[in-house]
Amino acid sequence: MQEVPSVPLLRIDSLRVESITPTSAPPFLQGINLRLMPNEILGVVGETGAGKSLLARAILDLLPEDLRVTEGEIFSRERPLSRLSPAERRAFRGGEVALIGTNAKELLDPVVTVGSQLVRVLRSHHRVSRREAWARAVSLLAEVGIVNAKERAHAYPHELSGGMAQRVVIAMSLISEPKVVLADDATLGLDATVSVQVLDMLVERTRKMGVSVILITHDLGIVAHYCNRVAVMRSGRIEEIRDTVDFLARPDHRYSQDLLEAAKARPIPWVRSIGKADTPLLEVSNLVKIFPGKRPGEEVRAVDGVSFLIPPSETLALVGESGSGKTTIGQCLVRLLQSDSGRVLFDGQEITTLSEARFRPLRRRIQMVFQEPYVALNPRWRVRHLVDEPLRMLDKLTSAERLKRVHGMLELVRLPARYAELYPYELTAGEQKRVGMARALISRPDFVIFDEPTTALDIRVRAQIIDLVRQLQSDMQLSALFITHDLNSVRSLAHNVAVMNRGRIVEMGSMEEVFARPKDPYTQKLLAAELGIEGIHGPQGSAAAKKKGTVD
Amino acid sequence: MLTGLRRFQQMLPRSLQIILPRLLLLAPQMFGVLFVTFFLIRLLPGDPAVLLLGNMATPEAVAQLRERLGLNDSIWVQFIAYCRNVLHGDLGISIFTSHPVLTDLMERAPATLELIFYAMILTVAIGLLLAVVSVVRPGGFTDVATRIYGLAAGAIPDFWIGLILIFVFFSKLGWAAAPFGRIDAMLSEPPYVTGFYTIDALVAGDFGVLHSAAGRLLLPVITLAVVNAGALMKMTQSVFGKVWASPFVRHARASGVPERVIIRAALRNSLPPIITIVGFLVGFLLGAAVLVETIFSWGGLGQYAVQAVMNSDYPALQGFILVAAAFILVVYLIVDILYELVDPRIRV
Repeated sequence: MQEVPSVPLLRIDSLRVESITPTSAPPFLQGINLRLMPNEILGVVGETGAGKSLLARAILDLLPEDLRVTEGEIFSRERPLSRLSPAERRAFRGGEVALIGTNAKELLDPVVTVGSQLVRVLRSHHRVSRREAWARAVSLLAEVGIVNAKERAHAYPHELSGGMAQRVVIAMSLISEPKVVLADDATLGLDATVSVQVLDMLVERTRKMGVSVILITHDLGIVAHYCNRVAVMRSGRIEEIRDTVDFLARPDHRYSQDLLEAAKARPIPWVRSIGKADTPLLEVSNLVKIFPGKRPGEEVRAVDGVSFLIPPSETLALVGESGSGKTTIGQCLVRLLQSDSGRVLFDGQEITTLSEARFRPLRRRIQMVFQEPYVALNPRWRVRHLVDEPLRMLDKLTSAERLKRVHGMLELVRLPARYAELYPYELTAGEQKRVGMARALISRPDFVIFDEPTTALDIRVRAQIIDLVRQLQSDMQLSALFITHDLNSVRSLAHNVAVMNRGRIVEMGSMEEVFARPKDPYTQKLLAAELGIEGIHGPQGSAAAKKKGTVD
Repeated sequence: MLTGLRRFQQMLPRSLQIILPRLLLLAPQMFGVLFVTFFLIRLLPGDPAVLLLGNMATPEAVAQLRERLGLNDSIWVQFIAYCRNVLHGDLGISIFTSHPVLTDLMERAPATLELIFYAMILTVAIGLLLAVVSVVRPGGFTDVATRIYGLAAGAIPDFWIGLILIFVFFSKLGWAAAPFGRIDAMLSEPPYVTGFYTIDALVAGDFGVLHSAAGRLLLPVITLAVVNAGALMKMTQSVFGKVWASPFVRHARASGVPERVIIRAALRNSLPPIITIVGFLVGFLLGAAVLVETIFSWGGLGQYAVQAVMNSDYPALQGFILVAAAFILVVYLIVDILYELVDPRIRV
């Protein structure tokens, strides 16, 4: 793409944002220089706390009340924003630069229909009749991919799925025809297939309307697939800003190199133990779990006749989107949920029909690492207390012995021994995940269920957790069920893969085989939605979009 | 049958879906009220005939009265007779005023309802306005003032405020009308339409009466509003404050929606608890306005009830409870309906 010799839509000159109260802490943003040209998609990537969202809020002049710009200036088409009158500033927000935020459902007014909300925004910027505005809202909703837009415009936000709500928020940002769209982690928390659909649509729409985009994300895959240029942010600064292709090929900065390295899949280092696999450690056959539906008499088959085997010291990854029943299976295996039918043999013993008292000794050998680390840890207990809970239940040890075991476990999950005295809120998300793992591993289990160990983590933290799990697998000869929707981590962690869709396993096989030659259409769809960073030669959208392009 | 009914219900628009079933529920609820009022009075210790005639009554007189009141019949027969009377609009004769209780109530109830009606309008206006301004402009004058007011309003009794208002605006300044009833003694009441003097005067086109009635309403209405707006304001502050800090308000601002539109949207989201507390206040004031009614010689329902208790006037008391309960039922019905209309997330 050639550099267009025109006026930048947005120009940020040596921006610095600081707290109003004088502190010794470093400024929240400093030395930010940025230019956004027409028809450009600029990626802003960085980890939590890098100041990405703050940058977006600074551009809209909506900084939190205790922060302010102390240096530098932002220009919109060469007009300094600090000189705008309040009325001009209001017209600028949404009229020239529009925001698409994270977690769309919370961004919509819960008691107003989505159509009316679009009308509200449009009529804040353009003098159009209510009728005309409604017609424009409906047609835009159709353009952002909402089926049956005429009817759905009358829906309330709580009646929409997350992906639908995100599309509505995108429509809301585009309806007053801005010049620039700031997408702040717009697809965070959506399923991968939905996320790429939404991103493909966003990029296509903005390109059609001639709108430039600043795509803020923590996902290098999104940057690699959608952005012309990329700015890497870290602790309030822009580390480097480059053409995406160049950046992926040879990043300048050490930090960027670390990020890229962390985002790549690890090769499978270990050879599977051959010959020992005559008796599987876990054998699940025809497992069924039914939940009552929303209306009386209705039922949801969350797990619908699922069978799989896990040999000793091997890992099976259960992949699928939210609602596919992955976590339900995990909870049935540790009997947090009672399955409705089917057999689960653990080390040759049927466990679904065991009484709780007989099952209890087995709990030591089957452990689960829960998904939401903060929610799964009692906030009023110290780490020491949290980690030795299974021991207090299962073994009669003195407190000194238990503390020794706790310290040993913390060392195993790479946490310093002093962390034993901390409370969960004092830990970062990655550290909380480690504590969750230490708690599961302290009873020296043979089999561990990891429920989404890598989601919602920053790139480098995620890589650390993956490395940790890999090491545990080889050191402890652990068998594991690895529940995730993060396909990239499956590449680094699993011997075998089972793909789930709507409570059923649609495809199962060795990881290499399934990933290289997926047979089921659903698996193919999942893999097409994956935004990898290897072998990218410029912004091109997702694999699904490319495929659609060639078919048309 | 039931599924057919349900299907029929789902064909109706949402507002009717909400209102119709609740209206149907009103009948059994009213019956329950009748049941309770009847038996509550029966539970009172002592023989009503003796109470009516006093301690000096001869046994013959008591027996005669028992016969006349039907007290010798079984309790169920009495209850049915009572229900039949109520349905015919016969609530008995007040012992103290010797008027039919219904006539008394028809006169007294509108007095109190008119007072509560205007007081509630003013309460909501003051409470919401102060709450919204204090949240939208934190640290401003209004914010500080509301904090002091919120504290004071909970602590100062209503009769005291009423007396102060009379002292300042009637006795000293002479601005306000005299605290002697609903209308100037020289004027005659407007012809009865709703029982609200202001509305009846408007209907009759008598602006002299309207002026007098409105003037008389001013101080008691302000008294009630000042006392009750404090609670409503605090409640609204906390609800509205939470909504004001929510992501959708921030997002509306980032989309360039004007502040006044955002305030309206945020207020709409804060309505459910506000509706609840207003409904509660209305029901509460029905009896609780009695001190203010007394101070202003209002002749309202509360005063009537207190008199009935003092004089052991059981028919009057029974009538009051019945009317008050029916009124509160209707208020809560309206609250429920509004609640569901305002929040689409509540499933019908």
